[in-house]
Amino acid sequence: MITEELFKLAAIGKLAGIALIVVGLILRWRTTVVVASASLLTGLLAGMPLFSEESPFRVIPGMTRAGRIGIVDLLGKAFADNRLMTLFILTLPAIGLAERYGLQERSAALILRIRVATAGRLLVVYQFFRILQGALGIRLNGHPSFVRPLICPMSLGAAESTGQLTPARRERIKAANAAAENYGNFYGQNLSPVQAGVLLVFGVMQGLGVKVGMWDLVRQTLPVVVASIILGLFQFYRLDRELAGPRDNQPHRDLIHKNQIGGNQ
Amino acid sequence: MIGADQLMARFLTLDLVYAITGLLLLAFGLTTAGDRHHQRRYVSGIFWIILGVIFLGGSLLPHWTTGLLALVLVVLDGSGRVGQGGPAGGDSASKPSEAAASSISPHDPGNRIFWPVILIPAATFLLALLFRQAGLDANRGALVGLGLGSLLAMAIAKHLTRATLALLIREGRRLNEAMGPVNILPQLLASLGAILAAANIGQPIAAAIRHLVPGDNLFLMVLANCLGMALLTILLGNSFAAFPVIASGVMLPLLVIPFGVDPALAAIITLTAGSSGTLMTPMAANFNIVPAALLNLDDRYGVIRYQLSYALALWAFHVIWLWAVIRFF
Repeated sequence: MITEELFKLAAIGKLAGIALIVVGLILRWRTTVVVASASLLTGLLAGMPLFSEESPFRVIPGMTRAGRIGIVDLLGKAFADNRLMTLFILTLPAIGLAERYGLQERSAALILRIRVATAGRLLVVYQFFRILQGALGIRLNGHPSFVRPLICPMSLGAAESTGQLTPARRERIKAANAAAENYGNFYGQNLSPVQAGVLLVFGVMQGLGVKVGMWDLVRQTLPVVVASIILGLFQFYRLDRELAGPRDNQPHRDLIHKNQIGGNQ
Repeated sequence: MIGADQLMARFLTLDLVYAITGLLLLAFGLTTAGDRHHQRRYVSGIFWIILGVIFLGGSLLPHWTTGLLALVLVVLDGSGRVGQGGPAGGDSASKPSEAAASSISPHDPGNRIFWPVILIPAATFLLALLFRQAGLDANRGALVGLGLGSLLAMAIAKHLTRATLALLIREGRRLNEAMGPVNILPQLLASLGAILAAANIGQPIAAAIRHLVPGDNLFLMVLANCLGMALLTILLGNSFAAFPVIASGVMLPLLVIPFGVDPALAAIITLTAGSSGTLMTPMAANFNIVPAALLNLDDRYGVIRYQLSYALALWAFHVIWLWAVIRFF
């Protein structure tokens, strides 16, 4: 059928926006520009008008279409609805001021009192702590509130206590810190029936006419949580092994003040 | 008389927290624009002021206005003129050497410097609990707690260090500008997600799976289900956006119904198979790209690179586990 072929072509055409993102990210174009362009392109290829009829742009021919929401309107609505993703900016003045008065150095010094502490072990404990938080139903963006001010300086401090770190190793420890937060957050949150993940699954399945029990969802996610912990143990143990490899072996406890994550270098 | 829970419901709203954030962003933007040592003061200042306006007015402005303002932000960032003051012209007070020197100042707060930082998660936790006790949305409570906790933390940090308000704002601005326009990426990606959903982008993917995979092979169908979920999550950057598409297009009609699978098992495993995709994609900027900026990684994909092997291994576990439970239990 010709109409069917045309429909398929239109369906593939809509993926051009996705293709633009892939190309843009690979070529490292400015991400915000790539994402906004892909939004406009996808909307236009799907036949959406630029603006909704409620906007004053209805006086310009071709800008709006009866009964269809505009690309810019949809973009603005989602941008406003998702302001909660950017609330971490509120934490920055207190953390910035505390860092100026030695927060990161003190975090690093604190961890040195615990003899058995290593970067990897600390991250295992942190991942577990985030899973517990998730199970308690607390949704928290841990990167700004825990990782940057506390956990990351601690793990750098623990790793630096036996010798100076190469820039590549510091980079790897920082990446592992961000990862530990994600691992704990993603897989721990489904242990609580009031968290977004379980609620979403419950709602979607109900919409599809299938009733699932919330506690059944929690029960069925347990093996995945266990697997996520075991894999974390494995990866963070490997990090410690890597860090124990050959390097300048002089203790550099006096270098700890250089240990901060920084912010304006 | 109105009860405490009614007071909470009426005054402790998300809009209150958004307004506080908006005012802070205005303060960042205005001080940047007025900072003569800042090499890109005007464009940078306008960028944060516009974001502040969106935070203050986002619930009142018509959506097309917010949309246009967001596009202006993108154009400003695209001009390459939104950024830090630069190494030569930056705030002299924010040099790290001086930060280290200040720790031996007469106002050294010692380990009390941890108080403001611990207060933020504590307030988040406390308000989430209070909201649940009052029968309100605990997630909203957490966000309100984050806002109020941050304000209180600012006050305590300022008191402990005897810093001026200007220094407090400047330190916040320093961290904010070090991260830069990447901060708006999560919101921008959410907008893209909304447009992809409106354009029904999941349909061709679900159709392709139906086309390619033989319907009677359980293992291949489990594989296609988990692979489709991970791929769509990589594209959308959000497993929650991908789940309804895969659940309705693949999981329910091709796996749960024909093979008589427990829907709770299939659904939650499909969801977290998507989380592996989240760990691998720059589209999930709030989890992978913003933290790389927050921790000053040189490689903006450094977090994704680290997570890749973990994500692949855990994804494989999802496939094998889902298949094995259906097959053997």
